[in-house]
Amino acid sequence: MPRPSSLLPALRSALLPALLALLPPAASAASEVTTPQVRAELLAHAPEGVAVGKPLWLGLLIDHRPHWHTYWKNPGDSGLPTTLQWTLPAGTHAGDIRWPTPKKLPVGPLMNFGYEGRLLLPVPVTIAAAPTGDTLKVKLDAEWLVCKDVCIPESGSFMLELPVQAATAAHGALFAAAEAALPQPAAGAEAQARVEGDALVIDVAGLPAVWRGRAIDILPETAGVILNAAKPETAWDGERWRVRLPLDPQRSEGPATMPVVLVADGQTAGVQVTATVTTPWPALAALPAAPAPALGDAVVLPPAAPAQGVGFGLALLLALLGGALLNLMPCVFPVLSLKVFGFAAHAQDRRGLLAGGLAYTAGVVLSFVALAGVLLALRAGGEQLGWGFQLQSPAFVAALAALFTLIGLNLAGAFEFGSVLPARWSAARARHPMVDSLLTGVLAVAVASPCTAPFMGASLGVAVTMPAAQALAVFAALGLGMAAPYLAASAWPGLARALPRPGPWMAHFKTLMAFPMFATVVWLVWVLGQQTGIDGVAALLGALLALAFLAWAVGSPTLGARARAGFGAAAVVLGAAVLAWALPSFKPVEAATTAPSEAGWEAWSPERVAELQAAGRPVFVDFTAAWCVTCQYNKRTTLADAEVQAAFRARNVALLRADWTRRDARITAELTRLGRTGVPVYALYAPGAAGPRLLSEILGKAEVTGALAGLR
Amino acid sequence: MKQWIAATLLATAAASALAAATVGQPAPAFTATDVVGKPVSLSDFKGRHVVLEWVNPGCPYVQKHYGAGNMQATQQAAVTQGVVWLTINTTARDHGDYKPPAEMAGWMKAQKAAATHTLMDAEGTVGRAYGARTTPHMYVINPAGTLVYAGAIDSKPSANPADIPTATNHVKQALAESLAGKPVSVASTRAYGCTVKYPSPA
Repeated sequence: MPRPSSLLPALRSALLPALLALLPPAASAASEVTTPQVRAELLAHAPEGVAVGKPLWLGLLIDHRPHWHTYWKNPGDSGLPTTLQWTLPAGTHAGDIRWPTPKKLPVGPLMNFGYEGRLLLPVPVTIAAAPTGDTLKVKLDAEWLVCKDVCIPESGSFMLELPVQAATAAHGALFAAAEAALPQPAAGAEAQARVEGDALVIDVAGLPAVWRGRAIDILPETAGVILNAAKPETAWDGERWRVRLPLDPQRSEGPATMPVVLVADGQTAGVQVTATVTTPWPALAALPAAPAPALGDAVVLPPAAPAQGVGFGLALLLALLGGALLNLMPCVFPVLSLKVFGFAAHAQDRRGLLAGGLAYTAGVVLSFVALAGVLLALRAGGEQLGWGFQLQSPAFVAALAALFTLIGLNLAGAFEFGSVLPARWSAARARHPMVDSLLTGVLAVAVASPCTAPFMGASLGVAVTMPAAQALAVFAALGLGMAAPYLAASAWPGLARALPRPGPWMAHFKTLMAFPMFATVVWLVWVLGQQTGIDGVAALLGALLALAFLAWAVGSPTLGARARAGFGAAAVVLGAAVLAWALPSFKPVEAATTAPSEAGWEAWSPERVAELQAAGRPVFVDFTAAWCVTCQYNKRTTLADAEVQAAFRARNVALLRADWTRRDARITAELTRLGRTGVPVYALYAPGAAGPRLLSEILGKAEVTGALAGLR
Repeated sequence: MKQWIAATLLATAAASALAAATVGQPAPAFTATDVVGKPVSLSDFKGRHVVLEWVNPGCPYVQKHYGAGNMQATQQAAVTQGVVWLTINTTARDHGDYKPPAEMAGWMKAQKAAATHTLMDAEGTVGRAYGARTTPHMYVINPAGTLVYAGAIDSKPSANPADIPTATNHVKQALAESLAGKPVSVASTRAYGCTVKYPSPA
């Protein structure tokens, strides 16, 4: 293994001056350094001697051993440019290195720019004052990094004495060749650059006519701007040449001009063009402050996500619409139907109705704001959470199932709240219908939160990336939207009067409404099953059974006092026993034991997406969760549709599923990147496109097939 | 037209071969095996600052910073502030610089390194996810999982240890700012050092 021999150059630099001192001051006193990788030599070119106004060139010649290379001024992804440090007599000044046109040197997934073989790095020297004495003493300290599959930093000290009176021209041909390889500014060429998404597009006009239609390679002189390893997309448009260069995701520069070297196919020397950057550079990076250690003080927002052009006003509007649509969701409708009774009962009492409506609205809005506040605070604390996060907790799902079971049993007439609740509480409810309405609003939000209705995805996605006050406003708008239909009905009794008159049908309707409640319980049990497995399901069903028994024993209006006391005591004991047995089961299963390995779908990971894209395949990602009704609906309708499936196959689309039923930081992070906080999200990655195209939450067949047809 | 498609595909392939993490965005999740054979995931350290350091003991630039004790001092300062430090070796098995886990562990010990874990990434998976180009190449991730710094260890790209005292240590600076709840002022620099020795594509 060749190792950097830091000792040898050091020894040389110490010995060389001593050695040189022993030599006669001959014109050819060139010094040279040889390492196992290169032979380096200091050369001079002074065809008319050394005098004021006469040309003088100095240069470092590097002869690389085969396969070794040193670097250009922009070395690319790794490497370092060679540096020259001159020590010259007063009145003599060395200019910058005139870098010859480099070569592209790919290394695995990386790209370097540099030189192999024989290289001369020339430097022009200006002489302002005539040198004293017969010779001009030149000293050079050079450092270069030489690489093959390993990199070795090397350095050398060189000395040279040039005769002032005589010409030095032994290496004229080498200097001439270096001059010929220098990229000259392209006469008459004009270039403009603009940032387009994640790429820099450079337009060049006025290139040499003989170049037209030929392939051109581009080498940026500025490091840290573009992705060096990506192949530039180039095209001729008449006499204009255009190139699209992907920006480096870890870009460190945003220059006002981009000097580039263009090399036409088959040419060794390129031309230099400086493009003026006409668009502002996007912020180098959205630099978030670290979350403050104290959770209590102001909510700090999570990393700025690419809020995809949804402004604050629009977000408010979308939240309002989305909230209104929530009323139609299957998990909300039964709860609202409870309130229909309220309408019928208060039809005569306009003021009461309006007050109830306002209380309900307050309950809904406050609940949304409170939930959002918790979400924002937790995210600020570094938790990877998104909307619907409540339902990722099996305990929350179980509690919700218990709540729905109780409501269902109550509606079905198995027990009366009046018998269960202390008399004082019932009286309080009756005396304070406002409180009752408020609590109904809270309940409505608890059951509605998992339904990510259309429009809500984008709204919420923007919301969590906004300043806290704005974010909370969006959530408040969502609540307002949800409460709006009810509020409108209570404000204009004309609407309320359109409802049917009270009568025996109300009792039937009440019983009927028990069934959607139980249906919701079935769904929740299934969600819990996804999270905890079959044991969790058994535990939950056991707990629900005990709960039902307890509710009947304590609350049945047909039981006598003694029977109630006896059954009640038994039910309490039974309930306690079941809970003790069931509670430990409500823990999320570690890892994905129930991987979503349905035919044709594979589990999502960002690496897999990158891999498939690299293989040139379009990728469709279904971000889903068992507790997300919209997701399940789309999965069973549109995504299962034979025509859609055929379209996927025809385009060789890779189907990936990201299951967010349990908490998963990677999926949350990806959703944030896409500007969303909840599921469903459907992302279609076209080969060659940097970002995905997002489809709507209520996924239509035509939308999917249309998007697929749009793939190149 | 065909050429256009080919060019586009190639561009995609090249770009995604090094689908680099982006400063200001969530840091890519990963799991790698450490030198004692234990799997270590980025998600294990949720809620904490994490520093990623790409290492190759055979690289003179790594030797510059370890030989002068600069890397160890940076590690020590970070770890005592509760920061997690993951040193990652992305060197292909067939490369001369490759060190098996036990040797790598021995080297880190001999250097008196203070890294929380030393991870093996001979396949280059983690390196590619982060777009690691050089050794050293440094990354800082904040407790929210956001990449807040990517680039060089310091401001003087050279192999000369004498440059260390006069250089600005970008990692120390980024950590100090992020720990104080401030935005990182220099969030992206050009990393310098040896090329990461990725395995050649199969």
